Amino acid sequence: MADTPAVSVQHLTKVFKGTLVKGAFRAVHDLSLEVKAGEVYGLIGPNGSGKSTTMKAILGLLKPTEGHTSIFGVPSTEVSSRHSVGFLPENPYFYKHLTGRETLRFYGSLCGMSGTRLKDRAEEMLVLTGLEDAATRRVGGYSKGMLQRLGLAQALIHDPRLLVLDEPTAGVDPAGSRKIRDLIIGFRERGITVLVTSHLLEQMQEVCDRVGIMAHGRMVREGRLEDLIAVENQTEMVLENATPELLAKISDLVAKEGGGSKILHSGHPRTTLERLFLEATNESKKP
Amino acid sequence: MSEPTTSSAANGAAKVRFSPRRVWTLALATMTQLIRMKILAFLVVFCLLAAGAGFAFSVINPEQQLNLLKSVTLGALQIFSIVIGVVSTALLLPKDMEDRTLYTILSKPVPRFDYLLGKLLGVLMLIGGGLIVMDAVLSLILWMRQSMLFEDAVAHMRLEKMDSPEAVAQVREIVARQGLTWNLHWAVWAIFLKATVVTTVALLLSSIASSTLFTIVITFCVTIIGHGESLIREFFFQPYLSSTMGRAASFILAAIVPDLAQFDIVDSVVSGEIVPWGVVYDMTGIAALYVTVYLFVTHLLFVEKEL
Repeated sequence: MADTPAVSVQHLTKVFKGTLVKGAFRAVHDLSLEVKAGEVYGLIGPNGSGKSTTMKAILGLLKPTEGHTSIFGVPSTEVSSRHSVGFLPENPYFYKHLTGRETLRFYGSLCGMSGTRLKDRAEEMLVLTGLEDAATRRVGGYSKGMLQRLGLAQALIHDPRLLVLDEPTAGVDPAGSRKIRDLIIGFRERGITVLVTSHLLEQMQEVCDRVGIMAHGRMVREGRLEDLIAVENQTEMVLENATPELLAKISDLVAKEGGGSKILHSGHPRTTLERLFLEATNESKKP
Repeated sequence: MSEPTTSSAANGAAKVRFSPRRVWTLALATMTQLIRMKILAFLVVFCLLAAGAGFAFSVINPEQQLNLLKSVTLGALQIFSIVIGVVSTALLLPKDMEDRTLYTILSKPVPRFDYLLGKLLGVLMLIGGGLIVMDAVLSLILWMRQSMLFEDAVAHMRLEKMDSPEAVAQVREIVARQGLTWNLHWAVWAIFLKATVVTTVALLLSSIASSTLFTIVITFCVTIIGHGESLIREFFFQPYLSSTMGRAASFILAAIVPDLAQFDIVDSVVSGEIVPWGVVYDMTGIAALYVTVYLFVTHLLFVEKEL
């Protein structure tokens, strides 16, 4: 069982039936992918590329037109496959009349949990996602970031081995987004497999072990992140406190070496806007 | 299509079976949702107003007064239990889909049948709870009213010097027959059964419809047609009166639309007739049959639904 992939998608094709006005629509075409147990796999692609359809097929919410999907070896069409999976949909909404705590207990109860085990697990998830102070507030009053974190908490309530996250940081501010990113990294450290889609490529780069790039319902690239983004014939060197003289010496050395070697770019590396935002907003909190 | 992956049993994953506890969780959440939407309060306030209206009209004798009170209140209960059943059911399922709450529920080990049954049970618990409260309130009002009317009638007869033991016994018998009897509870039970059948029809329609309005309109059409089902059947069994097309349409309607007239005992109860146990058993059995068939069809449709 150790070699059983967490997610297996084989030759998945999904065609949505047309109407009298609109013809049939092929959302996914002959897609195959495997997510190994314990890794963070990023599925990226433009809107309409078939990511959400693929996720729904993996979760058994949609029936494949052709091909099949499984979770830890159990076909997604079987309800029992969902014992091992937690799902956070894009922009989730929960029953507004329930409080955060009631919501988690509701989902835990659906998974067959009860009594002290359910109560303790709900509290644990509230603490993990930083919602303990909002536990008694009705979900209708939650911000978008809080809803996303509650979504993560409900996805984790039954201690699944696989997490499927559809745009987990959509509409969340950078601080909330960073918090979710840190949670995903924490899941990997705890051995939870994560399948995630996002448009925030920089964040995906930070958390994913492997990525698959989808376009027009097909997988166009797939592999380990380092392999995909490395530029084979270029080398990056970052120096700290380098004097102008040292930089001149390096330039001279490269020029003397010849053989096609040349410096393409030299200058101060830039921080990201996200890091700048987080530093600036954290500084403003300091007294 | 080949299926190279192993089944859950072969893989050690426990099969997910029907779970009354899971259904109860879903039903409780649905009922809480509706209660916090103040739907039950609306039902209670309306029916109390209707009960008040039962006192408002001028009438000739105690029998008429009690008749009017029962007629207005039971009529209001009938209309509002159906309206609440249809509107709640038509709203809840599409709302769960629109808000993606359905995704988070069905991505847990929850069979779709459990979800459907939980939703239906939640709505029925709300209607049932409301009807029990209203039954208790109506019983109390009716009992108070019949006591007052009897005392008034006897006082009036005493003034007129017509209070012979026979006359008083006759008034007592009339007031008792028209007042609080078990028949009132059977009428409320019949209202609940009718609302249950109509709510199940609404659930069936909302599992295939793409809009709430469509579900509401079609369910009300089915409800109206369902009250005239016997007329349709009569039409169907008189071949010399209709064309083949007409007969076919009548047959289809008679086959798919519930015969709601089976639950119409309110008029008998209002007029003080005794409802036999056999009628209660029949009504309950017919309702159970309709609910089972409609729920089965709903499951067949919903299990294939692409979310």
